[in-house]
Amino acid sequence: MAELLIVDNITKTFGGIVAVHNLSFSIQEGETLGFIGPNGAGKSTVVNVLSGYLEADSGKVEMNGVNITKMKPYQRVHIGLARTYQIPRPFPELTALTSVAASALCGKKRINQSFEDALVEATHYLEFVGLFSKRNILARDLTFYELRMLELARALATTPKLLFIDEVMAGLNPPEANNAVKLIARAKEEFGVTVFWIEHVMAVLMEAADRIIAINYGEKIADGTPDEVVNNEAVIEAYLGRGWKTYA
Amino acid sequence: MVDIELKRDRLTIRFKTQKWEWMIEPRYWRNSILWVALLLVFPTVSYFVSPGLINTMISANLLAAIAIPMSLMTLGTGRVNFGPNFYVGVGGYAAALLSIAYGWGPVATLPFAILTTLFAALIFSPLVIVARGLYYVLLSLLLPFVFFEVTVIYTDIFKGDTGLFGIKPLMDLGNAKINFLVLAYLSIFIMISYLLIVNKIIKSRYGLIMATINDDEEVAHGIGVNINKVKIISFVFAACLIGIVGWFYAHYFSSFSGQTYLTFTFMLKIFLAMMIGGRTQIFGCVVGGYFVAFLEMFLIRTMGPMQAFVFPIILIIFLFILPEGLFGIYRKRRYREYFPTIHVRR
Repeated sequence: MAELLIVDNITKTFGGIVAVHNLSFSIQEGETLGFIGPNGAGKSTVVNVLSGYLEADSGKVEMNGVNITKMKPYQRVHIGLARTYQIPRPFPELTALTSVAASALCGKKRINQSFEDALVEATHYLEFVGLFSKRNILARDLTFYELRMLELARALATTPKLLFIDEVMAGLNPPEANNAVKLIARAKEEFGVTVFWIEHVMAVLMEAADRIIAINYGEKIADGTPDEVVNNEAVIEAYLGRGWKTYA
Repeated sequence: MVDIELKRDRLTIRFKTQKWEWMIEPRYWRNSILWVALLLVFPTVSYFVSPGLINTMISANLLAAIAIPMSLMTLGTGRVNFGPNFYVGVGGYAAALLSIAYGWGPVATLPFAILTTLFAALIFSPLVIVARGLYYVLLSLLLPFVFFEVTVIYTDIFKGDTGLFGIKPLMDLGNAKINFLVLAYLSIFIMISYLLIVNKIIKSRYGLIMATINDDEEVAHGIGVNINKVKIISFVFAACLIGIVGWFYAHYFSSFSGQTYLTFTFMLKIFLAMMIGGRTQIFGCVVGGYFVAFLEMFLIRTMGPMQAFVFPIILIIFLFILPEGLFGIYRKRRYREYFPTIHVRR
């Protein structure tokens, strides 16, 4: 497998707080990479740096051999990076169909794409996530689960190569979460996207991820298969605290 | 022959193999020729009935012609510009100064008025990127006032206190009444062409992209919209459209003064037209423009100096009673129809 994204020694500080410190890893094409860490470990900061919302203080990010460290978010979308948000951020005044159509229009460049083409394409993505019947409903009137699905459709409509998923399970009940996991697996299959998945629910990642990276205080503490990572001393210590064995 | 049939809510006109259908139902009236026809008939009727109304109508058209690009600007930049009259001032002063200095007519000054507005808008366009929220409101609000100060300080050029006189009139057909009539049609033409242009933009893919910026700038950035480009283009384009109205004002009255166009009163009128029409709905702008112009005429005739107080009160009452304006009453029935709505950012 070729390396799709290479993160090389990125550091991000907010004032005196070091959120990400010399973090390096790579994402292989076609894999599902889980990304875990306790609260405040710097997971979302990493996603923000990779998707261009925050600029790294030092280090380099490469995608398909192109240095994207200084690229703006919209340029990164054009070369095939998409993301969803931890808390859904829909376009409240647009209908489900038009918000996905906007993604199809603005995402990766398509030749001779008209507005109508984008609407047709958007219908396909809405159908995929199961929101076709809600296509003409304003995003602000959708339920939480539907918003999550709309986010996914919006991200997929930009035709990404690499999809960042930021805690898709948060706030969903078990059947909904189950659906969401299945959908992401299907998206991977049908659209050939590589998934970079931040998640707190370990059970999900154990099943879905090919590889997991764990970070704490902005530094990588483990990298390996799900089984390796959950049995890693440093990971358990990061979650349960030092000296957990004396209480266990 | 021509066959006209009226069935329930549908008027069908058949001619040979062709067929035209027209829905006689309020929600389809928005795009109909009915309102345009009404607008076109109005000046001619008032020419015979009460010529004074033509003047009011021109003011109404021009107010609407400022409010329509303002809506586009609000949508495309995701911010409410509180100084639209600055661009009226820039366009108007450019036309007025050139006309007085070189004796140029309206046709010669128009491109320069547009260019000057374009230049001014380009200079101030970084504001839409760096400033947001209250800061943008304050900065945009300050622009017309600062410009007014400049016209007073450099009064030998701008004649800030008395105003510039002796600008070549838009047209001179020998008869003042006929002049007014033709100018009324010209103002209708400007207003309707703005309406068509802006409506076309808003309904196109660019309108959708602008709507995403208006809804959430960061997310728009995250789906691949080059937000800075879109914001600057819509800002500059709308400012140029407003500048043309300034050019019209200068040549229409043959005089131009900052006292009239760069002060709070004029800005209030533009905002009244926008708000009463319906929170920057472009079709609402026309309704709002007419409402404001005719209300002003009515208040001047009945209340005299009191109208300066009554105007803001009406604005406040309308904001409370009809938060979505007159057009909102119509929109409530069909709110799911796609049309990027514009919300005022807090």
